[in-house]
Parts: sequence; C-alpha cells; structure tokens
Amino acid sequence: MHKSTLKRYFSQNLGVVTASLLLIALYVTYNFMHPRGFSTAVAVQNTNEAAAIAFLAMAQTLPVLLGGLDLSVGAVMTLSNCVASVLVNGTPGEIVFGMLATLATGTAFGALNGCIVVYGRIQPIIATLATGAIAIGLALIVRPKPGGDVDGDLGWALTNSVWDFADTYELADGGDAWWLQPFVDIPVPFLLVVLVAVCVWVPFKRTVTGRTVYAIGSAEGAAFMSGLPIDRARIAAFTLGGFFASCGGLYLAIQTSSGNADLQQAGAYTLNSIAAVVLGGTSLLGGVGGAIASLVGAGILRVISFYFRILDIDPLLQPLIEGMVLLVAVSFGAIRTIRVKNKLDLFR
Amino acid sequence: MRHLLKCTTAFTALAMSAQLALAGPEIVAGPGANPECFAPWSDDTTYLQWEAKEAPYKIAVVNGFVGNTWRIQMIKTAKAFAEDPAIKDKIETLKVVSTGTDAPAQLGAIEDFINQGFDAIITIAVSPDGFDRVIRLADKNDVVIVPFDNVLDTDKVMQVNEDQLEMGRTWAKFVLDQLKAEGTTSGKLLEIRGLPGNSVDRDRSIGIHEVFDADGGDWEIVQVVGNWDDGTAQKVTADAIAVHDKFDAILAQGGTTGVVQAMMDTGHPMVPVAGESENGFRKLVAKHADEGLKGISIGQSPGLVAIAMKAAISALEGNAMPQLISVPLPIATYDELEDGTNYWSDLPDNFFTVNEFPPCGVNISGPAIMSQDESDVN
Repeated sequence: MHKSTLKRYFSQNLGVVTASLLLIALYVTYNFMHPRGFSTAVAVQNTNEAAAIAFLAMAQTLPVLLGGLDLSVGAVMTLSNCVASVLVNGTPGEIVFGMLATLATGTAFGALNGCIVVYGRIQPIIATLATGAIAIGLALIVRPKPGGDVDGDLGWALTNSVWDFADTYELADGGDAWWLQPFVDIPVPFLLVVLVAVCVWVPFKRTVTGRTVYAIGSAEGAAFMSGLPIDRARIAAFTLGGFFASCGGLYLAIQTSSGNADLQQAGAYTLNSIAAVVLGGTSLLGGVGGAIASLVGAGILRVISFYFRILDIDPLLQPLIEGMVLLVAVSFGAIRTIRVKNKLDLFR
Repeated sequence: MRHLLKCTTAFTALAMSAQLALAGPEIVAGPGANPECFAPWSDDTTYLQWEAKEAPYKIAVVNGFVGNTWRIQMIKTAKAFAEDPAIKDKIETLKVVSTGTDAPAQLGAIEDFINQGFDAIITIAVSPDGFDRVIRLADKNDVVIVPFDNVLDTDKVMQVNEDQLEMGRTWAKFVLDQLKAEGTTSGKLLEIRGLPGNSVDRDRSIGIHEVFDADGGDWEIVQVVGNWDDGTAQKVTADAIAVHDKFDAILAQGGTTGVVQAMMDTGHPMVPVAGESENGFRKLVAKHADEGLKGISIGQSPGLVAIAMKAAISALEGNAMPQLISVPLPIATYDELEDGTNYWSDLPDNFFTVNEFPPCGVNISGPAIMSQDESDVN
C-alpha cells in the first residue's frame, strides 16, 4: 500500500521530479566549477538573482493551470515595484504599511484581471495583454523616471544570509545565538520564496477552489457539470497570480532599493515566467503541474545563465546557446506528454 | 572550546572592521593620471584612488541589452582592445556577458564576478539606480566597477561618458555657423529626437535648444521622434518634409543615414545636417557635401568601452582617477572626411565610425573591429 502511494506520487509528478534532478545536477556542477563554489556568498548571489523570477513563475502557474496565459505578470511586478519604491521607507510602521500596500496593489490588479476574464468573457491572453499595458501606464505615472528610496537596512538584511539579517536588526544576539547557528548560512531570499510558497500556495491547492483550478484546466465541461465553483476559481487564480507578481515586485524594489517602470524588463519577465512554468513540467494545456514545479523551472532558467560567467563562451553566441539548452530542457518535460494517448493517463 | 570560539569571533570581528576601514577607494585631491585621456567632467569632480594591485588583471564586461549594431560593435571593440599590444599583458582574462534588460540578472552577474575574484567590472547599467548593494560589495572586496554610456546616479564609483549636453550644443553651433555663412539668420529647423524618456535624448535636445535660444534669431524648431533608428528616422523625416515643405537645416540625434535618405527621396534641397556617427551618414556627406549637404558627425562611440577598460586598469594600478570621466567628443565635419580614415566606403551603413581616441592611445580601426568574430577569442 505504502509503496504504491509513493510510486503513484512519482508517476504523477514525473515532470517536476525530472526537473528537480536536472536543477540539482546543473547547480552542483556549477558550484564545482565556480572558484568559490558551495560558499554562502555564491548562494546568496544566486538566490537574489532568482527570487523575482521565482515569484513570477508562481504567478504565471495559476493562469496556465486554467489553460490560459497571463501576459500581465511582468507589468504587475513592475507596477508593484514602482509602488514599493515610493512607500517602503520611513519608520518600521510605515515600512510594513508600504509592503502591505504594495502586495494589495498587485492582488487587486490580479482580481481585476480575473473579473475581466470571467465577467467580460474575454480570453485571458487578450485581456491580460490589455491590462498589462494599463499596469505599465500606471507604473509610469507612479514613477516617471527610475529612482526611489527604499530603506537601506531592509535591503541589506533581506538580500543576504540569515546571519546578516539578524546582525542588521540585532536579533538573536546579532546572529550569534546558538539556536540560530544551523540556519545562519541560508540566504534570506530563498527563505522568503519558500515561505510564500508553503504558506500561500500549498494551502490554496488543497481547497475546493484550488482543486477547481486544476479541474477547469483538464476538463472545463466536466468541472461545470460537477457543480464546481468555476467563476470563483478563475477569479481566485488570477488574484493569487497578482499577489505572487507583487511579491516579485516588492522583492525587486528591496533588492535594487529603487523602482523602474521599465517596459522591456516587464516583457522579458513575462516571457521568462512562461518558460519557467514549462520547464517545471506544468502543461500549457492546463490541469497538470503546480507552483512548486515552477520554482524548480525558474531555478533551471537562472542556472543556465550562470554558466556563461564561468565558461568562456563568445558573448555573441550566448543567446543562441541559451536558447538551444532551453529547448532541450523543455523537451525533457514534454516527451511524456507527447507519449500519452489520453490526458487522464497523467493522473494514473 | 568556548574560549577558542570567542577568540575566533573576536578575530573575525577585528578582521572585518579592518577590512571595512580599508575597503573601497579613497577620495583624494587631483589631478589624476593621464588627464588628456581621463578628463574630469567638471571642476567639482572628485578623484578616487584604489590600492594598487599587481597586474595582470581579470576584467569582466557586463552588458545589459544586446541586439542593436551599437551594442554588438561595443562587444567586438572590447575584445579587439583586449588584444591591443599596449594592454594585452595587463589582462589575464576578459569575460563578456549580456544579461538582457533584467536588473536582477545584471546585478547578479556583477556580484558573481566579484565572488569569482575579478578585479574590475565594466558595465552599461540597465537602470540608473539600484546598484547600492553591488557597490557596497565591490568596495568591500576592492573591486573597481566602471559604468559607462548609461551611467549611474551616484558619485561612489568611477564612471565614463561623453558629455551629451555639449554634443547638442556643438551640433547647434555648427549648424548656426553654416546658416550664418549662407546669410540665413532665421528660419525653420527640423530636430529628430531619440528614445523618449532617456536622459541622453533629454540632454542632447536641451543642448541644441540652448544654443538657438541664445542666438536671438527667429528660429522655429520642429520636433519629431526618430528613436535613434534609421528606419523610424527616415519615416518621420519624410513625414515632416511632406508637412512643412522645406527646412533650413536638420539636426538628428541618430538614424542620420535614414534622415539624409529621406531628404534625397523627397527631393528636399541639400541643407546643413548635424548627426550621429553612422558610416552611412558620413558616406552620404562625403558624396554630397559640394551640393550643400554640409554635415557634422559626432558620435557616442562604442569605443567608450575601451576607455572604460583603460580607466579600470589605470585605477587598479593605483592611480588617482576622476570620479566622472568626460571623454572628448569625436567630431568630424564635412571637410575633414577621408575614406579609410574616419569613414569606410566598404563597410556597412550602420557601422559606427568613431572608435579612435588619440589622447588615450585607443586606435582600433573599423576593419579591425569588424574582423573580430567568434572564432578568434578564448
């Protein structure tokens, strides 16, 4: 009985299991080749670079599970980034208020996306193309030119290891308390991403609404006939997507201590979030996958680019090589989907 | 055991405070090394000095956006310059990466190179803000960061750029002089602007308007947006000519080849044109100067990367360096153009001609850059 449960888990989650193995292999090799591999400094740098795209990959997962695409995630991240660059400073109270306001902005924007898709009956890809442009427009109003003044201590504390965090805020004897020692080398951005995933995504997935999201993606007609709350699940999915995107924007503001309404960056992040979702093994047809898998996908996406800094590859050939490696990595996950005759097979 | 732990903690604390005290450049009094090449931006520019390190150095170029001719030429220039006999022995490794318009990726790449023990990092910043963390880390590890072209809003790092305001002024002065020589003291001018919202576009335009406002003549300046792109500039110029019929002179921030092409296509008479340093523009000026196409060509050179590399090496050698380095504007007027020297009739139109900065000993010719391909590095 026990053994078969485990076996079923692996066969149902083959995509994410392969992706995780690929990520581990790539990351361990990278660390062996890096002159300062396996050090805290390298881990801190890597997770800092991956945090924003990790949040966006989670944001993109929900619309993809529905069988759609959200082209506004990068723009919502940019909008939240600009809001945070204005609000996240001052007294501790003001900082907390600024963070909550930033997250509320993104969440509200996500809810708006959901309402347009559900009540406006517009395809997600088109609806979010339009709302994405609106988000960038709002971001430009909030911050017409790059800048801002996000609290410096906060930036330093959240973009370093646990020890630096404790040291900055003089917690746990400035990071030297004995009970903190096992954790001092863990990068804070890693903890933040895991915290959001475990506290928000995992509980959501287990609710009826969360399961309905999966049901809509695999067979909307059947979900409707079964009396599942389809409209509620759709709106919830986009709202949660907006929340994750604003987490990304908030982190970006803290990391760069500024805001920048950069249209090109927003576009790049939207496309990369889709790539990360697919790399994690979530099907673009909907119904299969999850946000944790997308985190793994985001990790793979970033690690591939890390290699260009330790290997001697001609700069003008780098985009070509990156594209080819991505194609191979995506094909890994897709092979299984090609082979199944019936989508229900994926659940057996 | 406990004692040992205490000792190590104390030692680490001591080491860290010592490191912090020594970290980063010192602000010193000028003048700096090689002032003809590394000219300070203004009289208020401070000077920075790092502790001298032994050559050879590990240098990384962290580019952001890639995909236009200028950036590609910049990357090729960096590789060509690293092979230059004057500095070849001082460079152990040169690594070039392009991160795209992605601030975390660019910051991450810079931090990664700091972790890898690189000595200097040259970068075109994707955003004028947000580098506080990497600057702090660089100072802690005595790494020299040199932003150029798109520079940062900070005075904590050494930066290299051309004075965009001065470029605008020089264009306007040249055009004004040409018009006065013809006896024109008032009239209608066409200004083709660059990418909106960009500080370079803003400063160049301010420079142009300053000169015409100060002149006192009755000048009407029509503004159109050409995005520094040949295709866009050609279209908007043709449109403007269709609407306004005739301009007395044209000032283009970029895409100048397209601008002149539009003039020729619409049958607009040849008038003075101020523009960027595209090879195509210089070819056309050389050909049509005697018909009235009196041109001035000033460029934001992709060769700035070479100056930035040279400045980084000079800083690593322990020389005092200006915090903001103003690279002299590379100017060529219609009567100075010479095929094979400052333009090349056998190279493509979108090649940027200005790559030579004699006071800096940077003399990489156009053909030398174009011959840099993927096979001859590493």
